[in-house]
Amino acid sequence: MKRIGVFLCWCGSNIAATVDIEETMAAARKMPGVVYVDHNKYTCSEIGQAMIREAIAAHRLDRVVIGSCSPRMHENTFRKTVEAAGLNPFYLEIANIREQCSWVHKDKLTATEKAISLIRTAVAKAARSEPLFSTEMSIERRALVIGGGIAGIQAALDIADAGFEVDLVEKEPSIGGRMAQLDKTFPTLDCSACILTPKMVDVAQHGNINLITYSEVEKVEGFVGNFTVTIRNRARSVDMEKCTGCGDCYAKCPSKVDSEFEMGLAKRRAIYTPFPQAVPNKPAIDRANCRYFTSGKCKVCQKVCPAGAIDYEQQDQLVEKKYGAIVVATGFDTHKLDNYGEYAYGKHPDVITSLEFERLVNASGPTGGKILRPSNGQPPKNVAFIQCVGSRDKAKGNPYCAKICCMYTAKHAILLSEKVPGANAFVFYIDVRTPGKDYEEFYNRAYEECGATYIRGNVSKVFPDGDKLVVRSVDALSGALVELVVDMVVLATSVDARADARELAQKLSITTNAYNFFNEAHPKLRPVETQTAGVFLAGACQGPKDIPDTVAQASAAAVKVVSLLNKESLLSNPTVAEVDIKLCSGDMSCLAVCPYGAIAEKFIEERHGREIRKRRVAEVNTALCQGCGACTVACRPGAINLKGFTNEQILAEVDAICL
Amino acid sequence: MMGQSEKLQKIAAEALEQGQVTMVLGWCKKDFWWQAPVAFITDPASAARLVWDPFTVYNPVKYLLDNHHCHEKIGVFVKGCDSRAVNRLLQDRRLEREKVVLFGVPCDGKTDAAKIKAAFPGRKISAVSRVDEKLLVDTDSGTETLPAAGYLLDKCQTCRHPNPVVYDVLAWEKVEPRPGVDDARFVRVAAVEQKELEERYAYWLRQFDRCLRCFACRNVCAACNCRTCIFDQAEPRWIGKASDLADTLNYQIIRAFHVAGRCFECGECERVCPADIPLQELNRKLIKDINEYFGEYEAGLDPNDKPPLGTYRGEDPAGFDES
Repeated sequence: MKRIGVFLCWCGSNIAATVDIEETMAAARKMPGVVYVDHNKYTCSEIGQAMIREAIAAHRLDRVVIGSCSPRMHENTFRKTVEAAGLNPFYLEIANIREQCSWVHKDKLTATEKAISLIRTAVAKAARSEPLFSTEMSIERRALVIGGGIAGIQAALDIADAGFEVDLVEKEPSIGGRMAQLDKTFPTLDCSACILTPKMVDVAQHGNINLITYSEVEKVEGFVGNFTVTIRNRARSVDMEKCTGCGDCYAKCPSKVDSEFEMGLAKRRAIYTPFPQAVPNKPAIDRANCRYFTSGKCKVCQKVCPAGAIDYEQQDQLVEKKYGAIVVATGFDTHKLDNYGEYAYGKHPDVITSLEFERLVNASGPTGGKILRPSNGQPPKNVAFIQCVGSRDKAKGNPYCAKICCMYTAKHAILLSEKVPGANAFVFYIDVRTPGKDYEEFYNRAYEECGATYIRGNVSKVFPDGDKLVVRSVDALSGALVELVVDMVVLATSVDARADARELAQKLSITTNAYNFFNEAHPKLRPVETQTAGVFLAGACQGPKDIPDTVAQASAAAVKVVSLLNKESLLSNPTVAEVDIKLCSGDMSCLAVCPYGAIAEKFIEERHGREIRKRRVAEVNTALCQGCGACTVACRPGAINLKGFTNEQILAEVDAICL
Repeated sequence: MMGQSEKLQKIAAEALEQGQVTMVLGWCKKDFWWQAPVAFITDPASAARLVWDPFTVYNPVKYLLDNHHCHEKIGVFVKGCDSRAVNRLLQDRRLEREKVVLFGVPCDGKTDAAKIKAAFPGRKISAVSRVDEKLLVDTDSGTETLPAAGYLLDKCQTCRHPNPVVYDVLAWEKVEPRPGVDDARFVRVAAVEQKELEERYAYWLRQFDRCLRCFACRNVCAACNCRTCIFDQAEPRWIGKASDLADTLNYQIIRAFHVAGRCFECGECERVCPADIPLQELNRKLIKDINEYFGEYEAGLDPNDKPPLGTYRGEDPAGFDES
């Protein structure tokens, strides 16, 4: 028989005011295996913990049940307490008589009855607890950052500055991401490139950062401290060692295609660097549009390259590397406007998206920084800005707020007034949301100093009228119908998760929300961790974010990576799943439901009379297993058990409640 | 023209003679006219024991679990329902496809011996045979003719896949599913669903109160193929051993949920139940719910499909309906 000690906590009046401690103690004394019962006003205090340690020694207790707050609060505290008294820390069981009892009941009688039931349940479980032990695992002290936008750049720099080697993987030929496309940044109107490019150069020059551009993550295996990642280095067709970045090749390349960086407002060549300040400033050949790769003839770039760097024979390379931690910083896509035919986007050249407007304002953009109507190259006199295009739209867009549009639209209105003197900005909005340091002031500046007119209303239709555009809406504040004749319409397009976010989430064994943004481990208290240990999030891939928030999150993720890589070794979580191979049928339904890729099949050999037979069984990788228990539910013969929450323990708890 | 039994005998004898297989599972006649138990044929000469008659309802496939280790390759005669049991075992990784040769037997429905007996009260029946859609019943006072459709097993009246869904050889031409089977599929489920909550609970209590916990439903089920069933484990004690309705309910609910999304509607559980518990209503209710919540899914048609209850999709409904 086990010798169980039960300790009840008053939690001041939190528990004691609603639960009759005396009566609960009396009931606990009669529970099977209980040899000692005590109580304390604050069990988590040093006095309370000392009481437990002394009772363990004095009464030779071998299991401890504490009736207190949620185990999420003090389970670790009390595990250390019982460990200090010489017991295995997993001999501790907590009955939550605060959050699940005293806080949710008013009536003392029922609360006491429930507290007794919860204690009885914990006693039944504790009587069946087994000692559990952590094992030590080594750490590969290198980090991988996926995505070379401002989030990935910041995270990589911070990790590298802390002395750890970082591989920064970017799928485009250059790092820089979305921020490189922006003109000015709110609320200070800094030039985006001016503050970004020094960081890009830092990345390129940092001794600890290994820049891997034009590449994608193909496969992720392993677990925290020991990830094995396969990276696909796409064939650039340019020898990075030989190329000097002189640019002769793209000056002469005969095929022109829409530039992704310029949002299709300008052309680039088939051999190209996305923008002038690209890092690395070495081109790549876009094989789908290259004349040589599509027709077999051309090779102009090879002829003009003074360094002999053009290599048409290059193949994609799969490189396998090991990492201790991974930061995901893959950014966002802008919302597709297929559902918004009423705004005439794609039908009329003067209806553009906000990101296209950024390029129009930018000095290195298609118009050299002049705001000109795409239709006739003339400066616009009146510009309508439509907010929430694809945002806060349950019917056909994203139900969420994209967070950045109010601020960048205010910025666009200010930039318009500066670049085109006398031009009028009309902003159609649902609400203007400006929480953030100096944000409200910035928005005020847009309409107070720069004369932007804010009209509250949903635009119902944009249609051409001669060489102008008519914007039809309702002014929701006056109820009047508004019809404005403008020269240009700018749509504040919503922020979507990357189209391939789910695919990447699967590779990383992390989860996404309904809109494919990666899920953080806890929305408040673990904002940069994921449910998969060792994988961290930075920037808009976790949810729409502006640059200050993105940089802050990237640095936060870097700190998490650094504190992980700083450890000598990792302690494994001992509450993991375990397979009883004699019961296992090998149907692998556990494997299908495991969110962490922690289950694999293996073959065992068994004797049957004189014969040796091979049989498939499941095997748990204890380093990958997070102890979620999904497999134990999927397993019909009950062959897979979660240590610390075994089937035996759960059934004993059910019996303790019901019988 | 060669009789159907002879066709099966020929297929089995040839497969054994050519060494294609070392054992054939089919059906034979034993003590009673109303039974055609599974036969285990290992030499070509014994293939003559094989029959195809109105009572070859038994599913030989589950016997593969006990025998596939001892044979290089086993030949199995499979009706539509039996073939889906093969897919069940393949998907559950309890069998490898290359270990079996499947002799497909298109099936026009098996006869319910109880219905025949009821048709001739007090008369002694010695044999029943089937010619197309007619049953010939040999009784002590002469041979009677009955329409086969009226004397089918209940489960065969709602059979959507009378032809094997997987096979290597087909014994004869495929048959058409009976008209109206799709409409009949959920009729009984709908009837139970219409009952009020209290009444429905009382209904199921009344049904399960008769359960002997003989485990025949489990033993006959090809989806119940665990090496060691949880109900056979002593520790932890998933259900109490005493005759208690709570434990019986526990057994029945766990059984139903263990086959949820995996049941291929052969209806054997209900047929073998000595207490006549309408288990198909429970199984089909789960199938109906799965169809409604996760999209149409039929188990046992493709061993490589993604079973809705074994896979996660982002758009899966997450709600919990308390009705």
